[in-house]
This record gives sequence, structure tokens and C-alpha cells, in this order.
Amino acid sequence: MSPVLSVRGLRIDLTLPGRERRILDDISFDVAPREIVGVVGASGAGKTVLSRAVVNWIAPPLTIGAGEVRFRDRNLLTLPPREMRRLRRDIAYVGANPMGALDPTLPVGRQIVEKIRAVMPEVTAAEAQDRVIALLDAVRIPSARARFHDYPSQFSGGMMQRALIVDAMISNPALLVADNVTQPLDVTVAAQVIRLMRELTEGFDTAILFVSSSLPVASEAASRILVIDEGRLVEEQPTEALISAPRHPYTRELVAQIPAIWSVRPTVPAVPREARRPDTAIVSLRDVSQTYRVRTRGSFAGTSELRAVRHVTFDIHKGDSFAVVGESGCGKSTLMRLLSRLERPTGGTVLCDGRDIARFSGAELLAFRRKLQLVLQDPFDSLPPRTGIGAMLEAPLRTHGWRDAGRIRDKVRDVMNDVGLPVSLYDQLPLGLSAGQRQRINVARAMVLDPEILLMDETLSALDQTEQFKLLALFDKLQRAHGLTYIYISHDLAMVRKACNRIAVMYLGEVVELADNERLFFDPGHPYTRTLLSAMPTLEKRRYRPEDCLLEGEPPSPIDLPTGCSFRSRCPQAFEDCVTLSPHLAVRGTRDLAACHLVTEPVTDSVAGAA
Amino acid sequence: MFVLSFLARRLAQGAVIIFLVSLLIFTLLRVVPGDPVRLMAGGMAPEALIEQIATQMGLRDPIPVQFGRYMARVVQGDLGQSFVRPANGAATGGANFNDTTRGERAKVMDLILDALPMTLQLAALALVFALVFSSLLGIAAGLRPGGIADKLAFTVSSVFVSLPNFWLGIVLALLLSVKLGWLPAIGYGGFSYTVLPALVLAVELSPVLIRTLSGAVAAQMGESYVTVGQVRGLSPTRIVAAHALRNASVPLLNLLGVQFSSLLGGVIIVEYIFDYPGLGLLTINAVLQRDFPLIQGIAIVTSAIFVLINILVDLAATSIDPRLEY
Repeated sequence: MSPVLSVRGLRIDLTLPGRERRILDDISFDVAPREIVGVVGASGAGKTVLSRAVVNWIAPPLTIGAGEVRFRDRNLLTLPPREMRRLRRDIAYVGANPMGALDPTLPVGRQIVEKIRAVMPEVTAAEAQDRVIALLDAVRIPSARARFHDYPSQFSGGMMQRALIVDAMISNPALLVADNVTQPLDVTVAAQVIRLMRELTEGFDTAILFVSSSLPVASEAASRILVIDEGRLVEEQPTEALISAPRHPYTRELVAQIPAIWSVRPTVPAVPREARRPDTAIVSLRDVSQTYRVRTRGSFAGTSELRAVRHVTFDIHKGDSFAVVGESGCGKSTLMRLLSRLERPTGGTVLCDGRDIARFSGAELLAFRRKLQLVLQDPFDSLPPRTGIGAMLEAPLRTHGWRDAGRIRDKVRDVMNDVGLPVSLYDQLPLGLSAGQRQRINVARAMVLDPEILLMDETLSALDQTEQFKLLALFDKLQRAHGLTYIYISHDLAMVRKACNRIAVMYLGEVVELADNERLFFDPGHPYTRTLLSAMPTLEKRRYRPEDCLLEGEPPSPIDLPTGCSFRSRCPQAFEDCVTLSPHLAVRGTRDLAACHLVTEPVTDSVAGAA
Repeated sequence: MFVLSFLARRLAQGAVIIFLVSLLIFTLLRVVPGDPVRLMAGGMAPEALIEQIATQMGLRDPIPVQFGRYMARVVQGDLGQSFVRPANGAATGGANFNDTTRGERAKVMDLILDALPMTLQLAALALVFALVFSSLLGIAAGLRPGGIADKLAFTVSSVFVSLPNFWLGIVLALLLSVKLGWLPAIGYGGFSYTVLPALVLAVELSPVLIRTLSGAVAAQMGESYVTVGQVRGLSPTRIVAAHALRNASVPLLNLLGVQFSSLLGGVIIVEYIFDYPGLGLLTINAVLQRDFPLIQGIAIVTSAIFVLINILVDLAATSIDPRLEY
């Protein structure tokens, strides 16, 4: 069968004056009809540029140096714009930023209709609308007919990505280029989107070029994988062969870096066993809730309650690496704001060393702030761009009353050494530093105050695997040296598996499961935990299959909570009781808890409260 | 439903704003120096008579009492009577206190209603001129930042923003009316009398509009839906006309709401220069004559118009971009 797409000797250069660089060099490959071909590589390897070249979307400062992109034996790169526009019907593209891909001021459905009419002028408007609704329904967008008239801002990220897949598939293209489509999505939603794409290749006879920065994700979707390293195609093999017998050193490294979940026992920090009594907790949450009032649109003065965090109770002990995991909107960031006293809870108390942090003020509050420091997610926006690195690290000390310039300078140098920042950066601006280096600055800025607790809000999620490895090693070293307690807020179970000893799983504002690392990954008590585990991108044989663990759909809104168990709308094991009764956290074994009616051990309130 | 609740909420807010403006103007007018009764009665009137008239008119009562009495009438739609203007003719003031030729004094409402349509006509024409001109230049500049249109837009805005309106008014009158005889300049005798003052106002408005529009269009053209739109198969014309301009119009609309106040301010000077019988000219004369009820009336009407325009602008903006909430 003749390939639908063949790329030959493609070379693309960056031609910014002073920053000339080769982005892609001598790339050649074919894609057969109905085939899904994966493209993987590190960030900056040139994957996105490749996917854009395939849809003829190379604009200055990028220039095509040499080569062809042949689609049905026509070289796209030399087609005049009008001809190319006609071909858009057969070559579709879905990108990594679903929220920005459509005009925010017009209904989604109308914009998809607009696209059909642009690439297939023979379709009437009414016909186009019917097709859009039918296809929205086919990608399982609930109540597609009503959703047709909704605006992009009313769609969640996952919904929007589905809508864009509809937008791409509506003209029945022969080739779909999917550039990192699952990157902004939560794991459970991403798993659904990948499944959807596989179904679509069969239903629509479409070939897919599936670009992803994650090898597990690509291997999930594709039958053959291309590996790109620094602009060169270094390996091309069927998926199974690539994983089991990678030939190129870069591929071997890539495969080796994929975190192992079940096959390797991680060296989680040893927790002082004696420090397990409730009264030794360094941080305790007692029935903590946070409710926001949001204005209801379309009413005069109506507000509704958004219950971001509901009745959360747990203890964190000194030396713990505690993780709070969950998908977007589960309340983990609100929990971070409560733990760090950026906000006070509307119900319950947060205790630090047995004292209610909501009552702190003045010097006490400052002392608490010194004790608990935050490390944020975004390594770029969290550093002031026009402040020297040394000055940045001195600022917290000055805030906390240090005055002697010499001592401040010495302390900052010590900490920079500690976190592995070269002291020569002291007088430099953070410009041009890598994400990893920037996160080290963030860690240093927290460590400079000698805190006891570090609160890591998605600290590692902006980094690639290699950087994550290095920073986790650093965290481990710091923990041993300074006796730190870590609280990780994360959506990344693989990272949590490596770094944390105790894990709380949140869903819709509630802690649904609280367990030690081994137990959580090998014997999860809550169906939602199983769902998360089943959707994790991994190269290992799965313990849980996504098809068994999750129904289609997305988490309900925290404004309009379901009655009974909040997970029941997506739980394959839900039964009548789940509709009416909200499950309590039930004890499993000695100290693990799960909030599910199917956990059979008797519930005793006293134990649940003391957990 | 959304529109109704929006209007109810915003009109309520607007009423509060108008009340506060009235209170402020009323109080300020009564604490600044200058006795209106002296002006009304004439320089020769005896002191006792002035006191008598002032007491009769309630001008010696405490300010809150006066304000309450005034607002009670305002809510019934009665803005009071002018201190100095007769109902039948032009402004006098300063004549003899017992001048029998003076008839009934004019109602403030009537004076404003006579002048307001003139000013609205002027403002609307100025807005049309400014919008047409700024759109042409601003959109062209925004589509190609750094291009010829962008440079031209920058030069034109810089020149326009530095032209004082009183100077430009006089120069244009000299050129277009006196030298070329194309347009009439002074007074009002038909629609053509509006063109020249409107031009002057448009020049004053344009620079900000051009900058906002070119900035907004350039920002929208950098949005990912524009680039992705091409890959989705939309034509460049369609992307600009149906999407980029639609989005770019929101900041422009918001700006117009604010610019309207500067338009009403600009009107005062321009109307004075061209002796255009609108609200601006009325304001100047009222101030010069210490005509308290007229000044108050103009202030209330102006602030009401300002509030209404901004409600309309916000309503238009929300209907374009549903994410906005006011």
C-alpha cells in the first residue's frame, strides 16, 4: 500500500539573527493509511516543529532548508497557499493547547461548522450542524446538542480536546497530526482521549502521526514509534520491539528513565516508626473544609457554594514525605493554600505542632512562615526576572530580621552549595537558566530560612524526567541532612511512588484514600485510586486495566456535588447505596483508610478521626 | 434573564453614582465664593434686599436642607429654574434687579433639552469620524506591526495627540471656512455647522483609539486560535474579519465608554470656540453666571448619560465576549 505521508530528507533551521540553529536534520519516514505512528523525544528535540512541518505550518523565524513532505505524492512544502487550504480537508491537526485553539467569543459548535464550510463548501450549514452534533456525540460529549451552543470557556480541557478532535475529524481526513494532545490533560482523561483516537482510526480510515513527549503515552497509542533526539531521527521500530530492544543509546536511556511503578521497590525515605503516635504529628488537619462563594451567572444576587475541600482529616509526622494526589479540580491546591495559611479554612482546624495556625499573627505567624516554606510549580513565573539570584535568596532572610550583610551573604552561599547551584550565579539574573536550575533557586529560596516543612506544589511537574531524577535525589539528600518533612502536592503518581512514604488521594475535595506507598500501589482500597493507577502512563504490564476501572465522563462540578458518594458517576462498581449514602473513611489494616462502601472492615469513628 | 439582572444591578449602581455626583456638585457650588443673588439682583441692589431674596429662595438654609429640597424635586423630574435666564430669550444677568422686562425664568430642564440634542449630534458625528479613521489606520497597523501602516499610525497619533483643540479649532476655521469657504464655522444653522467642531473632536479622540485598536489587533493576531485557524483551513480574511476583529473590539468598546467623558469635556472648549449652541456652551455660561440650578442640572444629566453609556458599552462587550462579567 502506498504511504499516505512520506517525509524525505527534511531539514528545518531557525534563522533568528545571532541564534541560528538547526532544528531538524535529514528526517525521513513514511506513514501508511490507517496507521498510528508515534513520535517521541525530549522537550526541545524538534517534535513540535516536525508536526508543524507535516501540516505545512512553518513560519519565520523557522525556514525549510531541504527535503519534502509528500502527501499523496504532492510535496506540501511547495504548494501555493490556496492549494494547501484545499488540502486542509484531508490533513487535520490537533495541538497541545486545546483552550487557545478556538475563538473564545463564539460557540464551539458554530466554529466547527465554520471549519466544515471552509474546507467543504458543498456542505450546507444545516447539514454541517447535524454532522457536528453527531460527531460530538460520537466522542462522548454529554448532551452534545446543548453543548454545541456552549462557548470554549464552558468546556473543560478534556472536553475541549474532544471537541477539537471532532473539529479535525469532521472532514474525514486521511491524515491527522496530533501534537502532544494529552499533555494538558489529567491522566484519566488522557487515557480516554487515547482510546478515542484509536477508535477513530478504525472508524474513519485515518492515519495518525502521534507526537508525544512521553514514551509510555505514545506506546499506548501507536503501533510504530520514531525517536527524535536533537533534531535527528535516531530510531524507528514497532512499539513492542522499541521498548523491549531499543537499539540507539538515546532510546535506551529514554526507556530506562521511565519510572517503574510495580516492578521496582523504591527507596522511599525511612520514616521513624516510633514517631507514629498522633500526638507527635507535625501538621494535623482536623475535619478541614473550605467553601468559596461564587456568583451565579444570570441571577440577580445569587451565589452558590463551591466546596473545594471537604472534611479532610490527616496527620503528617516529622520526617514524612507526604503526598496529596488527585486530578485538576480535586481541591489539592486549595489544600495547599490552607496548609500554608494563605487562606483560613471555613471549617475545621489546621494544627502545626498542636497549635491552630489560623490564630497565628505577628511574630508567631512569621515564625510559622519560617518553619513551613513553599516551593511553587512554575519555574519561570515564580522568579522575578530583573532581580539577581543572590538578592532573591537574601530577601527572605531580610524579611525574617537578618541584618548583618556578611552573615546573610555567607548563609546564601551555603544554601546555594547545598542545592547544587554554582556560587558564580550569585550576581547573575535568572535569564537563560534551565527549568531545573530555576527550580533549584526556588528550593534554595525556601531552604535559606532553615524550614522544617517544605510544601511542594507540583514542584517537579514542569521538569523532564532527567531533571526530575536529579531534583528528587537533591530532595532526598536535603531531607537526610536537615531532617525535613515534605508535603508534595502532585498529580504525578510515578513521582509519588518514588519519593513519598504516605499518600492521600483526593477526589472532589475529599480524601478518598490514605495509605502507605506499598499498600496504595499494590492493594488500593478505593476504586478511584485504581482508576488513577490504571490510567498511569507506564511501560510495565498494568495491574489494572483502564477499561475495567473507569466509566466515560469527567469529574462533576464542585458547585453541584452528586448525592452520596462523589465518585459514583464514574465508578463501574457503584450500586444503590452509593447514590444515597456518603461513604466514611473506613480502616483497612492498621493505618490505611479508604472511603468506599466496598471496604468491608467496620467503621469506627474514633479511629477514623485519629488517622 | 442575564440581561435583566445585569440591567437592574447596573442601573441601581448608576443611581447611587448620580446621587453622589449631585451631592458633590451641590455642596461644592455652595461653598465656593461668589453670591448668585448678587449677580441676579445686580450690583446696585441694597444688601438688605439681597438677603431678603436669598432667604426667600432658601439659599440661607443649611446645605443638607437645601439639598434635600432640591433632590425631592429632581426625582419628580423637575430640575428647578435658572437663576438668571428668562424663559423667552438669551442669557441676561447683571441687569437691574427691578427690571420689568424680565419675564418668567427659564426651566433648567428646558434649557438642557434644547442644548442636549445639539451636543449629542456633535458627539455622534465626532465619534463616527474618529472611529472610521482610527479603524482604517489602527487595523492596518495591527495586522502588520512594524510595517508602513504601523509607522504612519504612530506618527499620526503623535501629531494628533500634541495638537491643542482650541488651536486646531481656530486654524481649521481659518482654513476651511475663511480661506476655502467649504464649511460654516460659527453658530448653528444646519447640519453642516456640526462638521467642523466634530472634526476637531475627532482629532482629539483618534490617537487613543488608534493605539488601542492596533495593539488589540496585534495581540489577537498572536493568539493561537489565529494561527491554528489557518491550519484548520480557514482563510486569512475570514480569520481576521470574523474572529480577530471581533475579539479586538472588546478593548475598543471599553475604551469608548471611558473616552466618552473626555468627549464631553472636549465639547465644552470646542463649542465655545465655534459658538455652537450645545451643552458645553450652556455649561460655560452657567458657570460664569453662578447659575447654580443650571450647573447642577447639567452635572446630573451628564453623569446620567455617562452611566448609561457605560452600561450599554458593558452590555455590548458581554454580548461579544461571554466570558466577561460585570
